[in-house]
This record gives sequence, C-alpha cells and structure tokens, in this order.
Amino acid sequence: MGRLRRSRTHHAQRDVHRAARTRVRTRDLDQIQLIDLDPKNRAKLEAQPIDLEKPGLAQHYCIECAKYYETDAALRSHWRSKVHKRRCKALKEPAYTIEEAERAAGLGREGKRPTTTTLPTPIPEVVMT
Amino acid sequence: MRIEKCYFCSKSVYPGHGIGFVRNDAKLFRFCTSKCHKNFKMKRNPRKVRWTKAFRKAAGKEMTVDSTIEFEKRRNVPVRYDRELVQTTVQAMKRVAEIKSRREHAFWKNRMAAAREKLVAHRKKKHTTKASVKLVEPMQIEAEETELVREKIKVPAKSRSALVPGEGRSMGMEID
Repeated sequence: MGRLRRSRTHHAQRDVHRAARTRVRTRDLDQIQLIDLDPKNRAKLEAQPIDLEKPGLAQHYCIECAKYYETDAALRSHWRSKVHKRRCKALKEPAYTIEEAERAAGLGREGKRPTTTTLPTPIPEVVMT
Repeated sequence: MRIEKCYFCSKSVYPGHGIGFVRNDAKLFRFCTSKCHKNFKMKRNPRKVRWTKAFRKAAGKEMTVDSTIEFEKRRNVPVRYDRELVQTTVQAMKRVAEIKSRREHAFWKNRMAAAREKLVAHRKKKHTTKASVKLVEPMQIEAEETELVREKIKVPAKSRSALVPGEGRSMGMEID
C-alpha cells in the first residue's frame, strides 16, 4: 500500500487546544462580513478609544482579520502579508450560515425566498492614513 | 419534538444528542457529533470540507433544484391537531420520499454517466499523447560527418606548477 497521508502536514503548532478555547474565540467570517465591514462600524473600529487591556492600546486594528497590532508599522506590514490577502479573498465570497446548513439538509424556510446569498459589496481598498 | 440540523454536516440532530454553541451574538449553532463541533472550532468552512452535505450540494454532487425538496420546510405557524390532516400528511410524506429517491437515483446515474464519459475521453487523450511518432520513426544520423577533433590544450611550461623552487634549498627531507 502506498502512503495514505501526504507529507509535511506538521507545522509545529503548539497550544492548539489553548487557541481553541471559547474565551479566546475571535470573530467569525460572517460577523466580519455583515457587521464589521459596514462603513459605519468600520470607522468606529478604526478609531477606538485607548484600551490598556488590548495590544497596542487598541490603536492598530485590522478589521478583516479581527486582530490588534502593536504598532502602525506592524499593521502596515500585515496588510502587505499573504495572511491578510488570503483573508480578504475569503471574505469576498458569502459566508456560511445556519440557513445554508438547513438548506443543504433539504429544510427550507416558509415565507422567505430561499436566501440566495448575495455577494457583499466589494471590500474597499485599505486607505493608508 | 423538533429535529434540528447540524450546522456543520447538516445531519439531523435528535433531542438528547449533540451539542450546541451559543455565540456572543446569541446565535445558536448545533452539532450532531464532537467531530462536527471540533471542525467548527477549527473555523473550517463546511462548503470546503468534502464529507459535508453543504459541500456535496455546492459541488453539484446532489440534486439541488427539484420540487420534491420544496416540501420540507420550517413553518413557524402552529396548526391545530387534526387526525385527518396527520394521516394525509404521513401518506404524502411516504409518496414524496418515494419519488425523491427515484429522482435522486436518476440524478446519480446521469452524473456517473457524464463522469465516465469524461474519464474515457481523458484516457484516450493520454493514450494518444503517449505514443509519440517522433520516437518511432527512424531518424537521420548526422553525427558521422562532424567528428570531434580533440585539440590539445597547450599549457605554458612555466605556469605548470605553483611551487616556487627554493634557491639551493630543496623541499624534500634532508638526510644526513
């Protein structure tokens, strides 16, 4: 028999279980797509008041990735990174919802048309301030 | 009794089974097994995980547009119990399920036929490209005329050695 598992699947990630705890849960894609990327909320998130608990006093926040950065330079370099670009790409397609799970099971909703998930408005280019 | 659907794999979740997760915006995600729960915690997209129903629907592996699917719906309207209605509903359910299974089988057969055609075409293409005409045909050999002449590379005698002979002294061992 040949190899069943492809090689190089280990990434030396420690503390996977810790990162999966509920209290360190980050925002889901559908929350970001529907709430955070809304221009009004976006402006609010970009100009947060100083919070001593957050990294970098909550002054450098990437909305797409829901992550705080220590400095402006770190945030800018993150915007140029592959991780951020991959996230932006994932946000472009409609997020998976409970309704979609039910529809896949063959359970529709009465009264409502089958919610054909419309594409959200394209993410505006990150404006360098 | 309400039978819920699993958020991840879209299987039925019967009362007393599975686990639920309430997100901090009060949305309830139900899971049939710990497998689905773990996959959710890993933030995987069910549309990209091959064993979920969402994947199968999105990838066109299952029937999506059909009138038999339209019967099962969540109707948030209470209906007064009626013996007649229940009987006719149960009968209708059986009939609908029968028709649905037949249509699903037809869909599957269609899909497999298309897949087989594709495979055959692929094999044919592979076969034709494998037998290269170039290699079968005899080729002219032109190498005979141009015989390689090995030219002797002349090396100036002086630079042959990097060692500089000593004046009167030799590099060898002196034996008394």
